[in-house]
Amino acid sequence: MTFLMITGRTVNQGVTVENKTSAAYAAETSTCFMHEFDMLELGLADNDAVRVTGPCGEVVMRAVASPEVGMGTIFVPYGPYANHIIAAGTHSTGMPDFKSHEVALEPTDEEPKTVHELMEDLGGLAYDR
Amino acid sequence: MIVKDVVCPFCGCLCDDIEVEVEENRVVAVANACELGTKKLMGEKRMKNPILRDGGTWKDITYDEAIQYTADMLLSAERPLLYGWSGTHGEAQCVGVHMAELVRGVIDNTSSVCHGPSILAIQEVGHPGCTLGVVKNRADLVIYWGANPIDAHPRHLSRYTRYAEGFFLENAFRDRKVIVVDVRRTETANIADEFVQIKPGGDYAVLSALRAIVRGKTEMIPRTVAGVTREQLVRVVDLCKGAKFGAVYFGLGLTMTGGKYKNIRNAIELVSELSRHTKFTISAMRGHYNVYGSNEVNTWMTGYPFGIDFSRGIAFYNPGETTAVDILARKECDAALIVGSDPAAHFPRRCLEHLADIPVVQLDPYPNATTAFCNVQIPVAVTGIDAVGTAYRMDGVPIRTRRVLSTGYPSDEEVLIRMYALMQGAKA
Repeated sequence: MTFLMITGRTVNQGVTVENKTSAAYAAETSTCFMHEFDMLELGLADNDAVRVTGPCGEVVMRAVASPEVGMGTIFVPYGPYANHIIAAGTHSTGMPDFKSHEVALEPTDEEPKTVHELMEDLGGLAYDR
Repeated sequence: MIVKDVVCPFCGCLCDDIEVEVEENRVVAVANACELGTKKLMGEKRMKNPILRDGGTWKDITYDEAIQYTADMLLSAERPLLYGWSGTHGEAQCVGVHMAELVRGVIDNTSSVCHGPSILAIQEVGHPGCTLGVVKNRADLVIYWGANPIDAHPRHLSRYTRYAEGFFLENAFRDRKVIVVDVRRTETANIADEFVQIKPGGDYAVLSALRAIVRGKTEMIPRTVAGVTREQLVRVVDLCKGAKFGAVYFGLGLTMTGGKYKNIRNAIELVSELSRHTKFTISAMRGHYNVYGSNEVNTWMTGYPFGIDFSRGIAFYNPGETTAVDILARKECDAALIVGSDPAAHFPRRCLEHLADIPVVQLDPYPNATTAFCNVQIPVAVTGIDAVGTAYRMDGVPIRTRRVLSTGYPSDEEVLIRMYALMQGAKA
C-alpha cells in the first residue's frame, strides 16, 4: 500500500535527541504512526515491524496506531530512520521534501536496525556501541 | 545551590526563568522548564576527550592534536563545508564565518533544513513580525499553522499565548482565541478553539482561499478547499477580521511541504491583507535555541543568512546550490567541519554516503549519529550549561545564556579561536 510520509518533532524525540545512540531515541524515531484502519488493512498490530520503502531505499520501523494521523498518511518522528529513505532533492531551495514523500508499506518479520547499524550501513563507524 | 533565571538552551523560546539545582557540580533538579529543557539541562553521557578514527577503531587524542588536525584539514581542502552552528552561541558563529572566508569554504547553518524557505519568502515580501512579549500582552487571536508547539515548543503556549496572562486582555484565557491549522490532529489541535484540518499539500490553496475571502470574493470559493469547507474558511476570516490583534505562528508544516517558500510567502501576504482590516503579525517557530542567531550573525557578517559560499573570495548565496544538503548530495565538498548540529540524524542518506567518503571533524559534547562519520570529534562545553554566550530567541531578541556548571570542557568559541589562529598562521 502507498502512503504519504510526514516527518516531524515529538516530545519523546526531543527528550532523547541529545542521546541519539540510546535505545529510547531509536525506538521513537523508528516509530511509524498510522491510522488504525490502515493497520487493519495491512494486518498490523501495535509495535509490529513494517518495511517502509521510499525513493532511495527501505527501512524497517514499528507501526503504532495514532488518532492524530489520517488514513493514507504515516507520521515518523524526525531522525535517522525516516532520513534513510528520504531523497536529497531540494527543488533549488536547500530543503528536502521531509513532509511530502510517497512510501510503500508492507509487514515484515525483520527487526528495526539500531542507529549504529544504520550509520555503519552508510559507511560510518559506531563509537559508543 | 539553586541558580535562578537560567536560560534554557533547547528551543527557540529560550525560556529565561529556569531554576537549576546544582550539587557537587552536577545538575540534580530543574524547575520551570519543559520536559525537553529539563532533559537537556540534566544531560549526561558527555564524550570525555577528543577522539580520532584510526581505521576500524577509535583512539583518544589531545585537544592540541584535534585542533591541529582540523586546521590542517580545512587548509588542505579545496571546497570545505562548515555546517551546523545553531546549537552554539553567536560568538562561536562569528569565528566560524571568519574561518570559512579564510579557506574560501561554504558555511551553512541548520536553517537551510528548517526555516530556510521562510527566510526566502521574507526576502521576497518582508516580515511583519513582532516580539513574543507583544503577542503575550496584546494578541486576542493566535493562529498556529503547520506547527505543534505542545511537542516542539512546549512553553510557547503557557508563556505567550493560550495560557498566558496579557496586560491588555482582561481575561486572557477567555478572550484570546486560538486557531490551529494542520494536516494532523495534533495535541495542539485539541486545545484550539477552531481546528482547521487541511489535506496534505493543501496549505497554499487554503491560504489563497483565505486571502480571497478577506478581499470579499467569497462567492469564488468552491465548497471545499483542500478538505476545508467554505463555511469554516469564512468563519476563520471572521475571527481574524474581528480580532484586535492577531498573531500567526507557522512551523515546518509550511516549509517542508510542496511549495516550500511559496507557502510562507502566501501566509505573509494573507497577514498583509488582514492588516488592512486590523493588526496582524506573523513569525516562524524557530527550532534550535540559537538558529535565529546563526541567521543574524551570518547576515551581519556576510549579508546573507545561510548557505554562504566564499569560493569566489566574496560572499555568494544561492540556496539549492550553496546549501549543505545539495553540496553533500552532489558530492562536492572535500572536507566538513560540523559544529552544534547532527546532520547524520537529520540529512537524507545520500548526504551521509558522501560524509563517509571525506574527512569530517565535529564539535559536539555528546556522541551522536554524526560521530560515526567523523575522523575527529572534539567534545565542548554546552552553551547555557557550562559555557556562556549570546543566543537569539525566535523573535530576534538576543539573550545572554548563563553558566550553571564549571567543567573542564572548552567552549565552541575557544576551540574555534585556536583553530582559526593556527589557520591564520599557516596562511601568513
